[in-house]
Amino acid sequence: MHIRRDSTCSALMIALCFVLLPWIGSVAADDDRAGDREAMVKEQIITRGVKDPTTLAAMRAVPRHLFVPASLAPRAYQDRPLPIGYGQTISQPAIVAFMTEIINPGPGRKILEIGTGSGYQAAVLAATGAQVYTIEIIPQLAASAAARLKKLGFGDVAVKTADGYYGWPEQAPFDAIIVTAAAEFIPPPLIEQLAEAGLMIIPVGSPYFVQTLMLVQKQNGKVISNNLMPVRFVPFQRAEE
Amino acid sequence: MNGLCNRRHLSLVLVSAALLAFQIALLQILATSQWHHFAYLVISTALLGFGAAGTILSLGRHWMAARQAQLLPLLLCGCAVTLAGSLGLAQGLFGGFDSFLLFVDIVEVLRLAAVALLLMLPFACGALAIGLIFTVETERISSYYFANMFGSGLGSLLGLAGLSLLRPEQLPPCCGLLALTAAAVLLPGTRRGVRCVVLISLAMVAAFLLQHPELALSQYKDLRRALDLPGARIIAHQPAAAGQVHIVEAPVLRSAAGVSLNWSGKIPKTPAVFINGDMIGSLPLTTGSDNPRDAATFALPYALGSPRRVLVLNAGTGADVAQALDRGADEVVAVEPHKPLVELLRTAAPTNFGRVFTDPRVAWQSIAPRTWLARDRQEYDLIILPSIGGFGGNAGLFALHEQPLLTREALQLAWSKLRPQGLLAVTTWVDYPVRNPLRLLATLVETLQDAGIATPKDRIAAVRSWGTLTFCVKRTPFSTAELAKIRTFAERWAFDPALLPDLHPDERQRYNRLQDDSLFELFEAVFEPGRAQLYRNYAFRIWPVSDDQPFFSQFLRWNRLDMLIGLYGQRTVPFLELGMLVAGLAAVVLSLLATLLILLPLAGLPRGEGRRWKTLLYFGGLGVGYMWTELALIHRFVFYLGQPVYAAALVVAVLLIGSAVGSALTGGFTACRPWRWTAVVAVTLLFYALLLGPLLQTTLSLSLPGRVVLAILVLIPAAVVMGMPFPLGLKLLNQVRRAEVPWAWGVNGCLSVVGAAVATIIAVEVGYSLLLLLAAGAYLLPTVIRLRIS
Repeated sequence: MHIRRDSTCSALMIALCFVLLPWIGSVAADDDRAGDREAMVKEQIITRGVKDPTTLAAMRAVPRHLFVPASLAPRAYQDRPLPIGYGQTISQPAIVAFMTEIINPGPGRKILEIGTGSGYQAAVLAATGAQVYTIEIIPQLAASAAARLKKLGFGDVAVKTADGYYGWPEQAPFDAIIVTAAAEFIPPPLIEQLAEAGLMIIPVGSPYFVQTLMLVQKQNGKVISNNLMPVRFVPFQRAEE
Repeated sequence: MNGLCNRRHLSLVLVSAALLAFQIALLQILATSQWHHFAYLVISTALLGFGAAGTILSLGRHWMAARQAQLLPLLLCGCAVTLAGSLGLAQGLFGGFDSFLLFVDIVEVLRLAAVALLLMLPFACGALAIGLIFTVETERISSYYFANMFGSGLGSLLGLAGLSLLRPEQLPPCCGLLALTAAAVLLPGTRRGVRCVVLISLAMVAAFLLQHPELALSQYKDLRRALDLPGARIIAHQPAAAGQVHIVEAPVLRSAAGVSLNWSGKIPKTPAVFINGDMIGSLPLTTGSDNPRDAATFALPYALGSPRRVLVLNAGTGADVAQALDRGADEVVAVEPHKPLVELLRTAAPTNFGRVFTDPRVAWQSIAPRTWLARDRQEYDLIILPSIGGFGGNAGLFALHEQPLLTREALQLAWSKLRPQGLLAVTTWVDYPVRNPLRLLATLVETLQDAGIATPKDRIAAVRSWGTLTFCVKRTPFSTAELAKIRTFAERWAFDPALLPDLHPDERQRYNRLQDDSLFELFEAVFEPGRAQLYRNYAFRIWPVSDDQPFFSQFLRWNRLDMLIGLYGQRTVPFLELGMLVAGLAAVVLSLLATLLILLPLAGLPRGEGRRWKTLLYFGGLGVGYMWTELALIHRFVFYLGQPVYAAALVVAVLLIGSAVGSALTGGFTACRPWRWTAVVAVTLLFYALLLGPLLQTTLSLSLPGRVVLAILVLIPAAVVMGMPFPLGLKLLNQVRRAEVPWAWGVNGCLSVVGAAVATIIAVEVGYSLLLLLAAGAYLLPTVIRLRIS
């Protein structure tokens, strides 16, 4: 009986290894930065209040240094955004973690990202088991992100080169939408494609220094916006000196 | 000898003109291709070429003086070739620099330094030629300094003319040609080799003229990002001294700033307009009922009624003008100081988008809005101020921009032009930590109190969306019916009232929730009599600004920098207050470099000739005083003349040419006590500090030609006396400590550059009036130390 159970477990483990091997293998190849990721999670993310285990696991798993230009790879795990070309940036790790935690991704959740950029945010979402659709308007960025995601084992992420304004109506509705390339307005089609009780998250601030996050919620047909503070808040007013 | 003397004068005029025109062109080139702060940083550093020339001249004066005849054309050739080619080389060799990575990567700092050093070359070569002439011809310094100043004045006008006619990147080779002419003038009597060098230089300058490089835009500039979009193309371009204009069209460019989340209509595709690479707005579409701007907080004043007569200040691309027309205005006065912009939009905007520029109901006025407010005698139902900030903030980019429309004095003027039921409307993007809305409200409240309104709360309403907040200020208290209309408007578009006389706390965050209640608590505190305590204790400057310190977007308090660094991290905090921090950085870097350049030649100067500190203070004081005076006067006359770029050009040209005349007048003076003339300058500037304001205020109603003539007449006395102390000081030095002449000239150059960099910080911290007084103090310094024959 014990033998049978053991052998069943072993078979399951072997099967699981086969399933996960390509992804684990691709990440493990560059896992000399695992220590950096652990430090990033502990020092930049947990200290800022992100606690969701799924999010933290995803941040630990995705090799951020492979999503930035090679010249900036040594700085990939520092607490700052970095440029990726075409005036775009890869958000600082804490912001990525915040946005991920807020939309509560996981298996069975369908998420749309507007502004693929390097593909890092999409990879983090995919690492939680969510079904990720991402749109990038700059063809060169879209192509490189798609190739990178595939190479790193995130081939399930659907990447499209298109105008994010229209969203992805064929796949709508979405449980959550991340608009990393927001302009001065929120495109109405995106709000339409948000499922009832769905969440839309938008970083607000210059690409070099995100100050707040805006969470848009669709509840009973009403659209409500919430401003969230991503960095630890300290009062800006001092007592009388 | 007379022939050579005349040729040297002509050469000096030409090279001085070339250097100043290049400086003006470079400013626009770098402001277009990079964030404009770095343009100032790079150019200031490059201008230290003048100081570097003084250092080199001090160390090698004997060697250079002995070879002056051959050396002068060679230096001018070097100046010509580097003027023509340094920009292309900077782009080609170093690929420019990455503004964002400057705070991350030391390599980018080195690139920035390399670009600045490369751009320093033409200034250093040209300044060496000028300094060499000054050194060997110190007896005739009055006339040579005249040529130098006159040439610079001419160059400022040539630079502006060039920017109006050509693309800025085409100007450096033209400046090179001018400098080469300066070299050619000195050719008679030189060796064959020197002539060959001039010919080779001519070939190189011609090559740069024919093959000038395209301007490489930083990836962070709005224009570059728009052009990176699929199918984007430039549909119109206009060079202009006030900033070159581009109109860009792309199938994916849309505009609907701050539109409600409830808006379900289409967002129109519209061309975008850029000045010096920064987006200033989109073109408004042809009139129609389906306008998303009506579903933004910008539409708040129209929720209260249909104003017949509307004044739009800083009208830009005409979005507010179009909305006023669509909402039934009979007459719109659109004030936009950038005339080439309006002309281009009138002629080159696609048919669907150009209506506001040709509609007979709209009167376009090309004048600074602040000057318009002061001169205009009409009254309006609605006055719309330009919106403040932008989605996502602007990383402190505009901290050092003067915003004369957002001062207490400007708002008082606007308030006085409202009809009895008139409204003043202004929209700001909501930032966090709260800065723009708070300072705006504080300014509005204090404006009303200045106007004798005891309860400003009755007359200020504000509505907030997910991103914008629009204030409406009314001449009379809001009626119950009007408050109901505001609530209906807010409800329809999922906005929240932020300020109403009868606002209940529950109404403030129904649709757009903030992270905390601090915005409302701070708003309440602004209405309290003890608001000064809030001003003192808040982490940012949020008190109203005045005409003397019109830096509305400058929020940084140096003593709270440590707190911001602790909160955001030292690498990212610069993007909160980029403008002021780069200005501070520039002042520190330039001061260090200037100190080095000033100290270095001391080793080569003969010992036993003490009192060098007097030379340092005398010529340093002149350099600093001149720049501070220039900047303080530009500030005054920009407001007076109403054309910022041309007013600045006029002040610079009159000061330089007037100083040239002053220098020429000193030809017959003995140089025993030049400090008396610095005292005269100081006293003159004191008079200006006291009388200029009232004089300009009382003559503001004159026509533009009348104001220009008066401005020239007013500036000339100061300009003439300011041109005297420098040649007199050099004359004296030539008599008593001849070896120090090039060093003194270098000290003057170094401290002029440092003075210009520090002036911005002084203006922000204490205002332009005090800057002019400090300039008088800088001139008084030599008088105090009484430099005279020992």
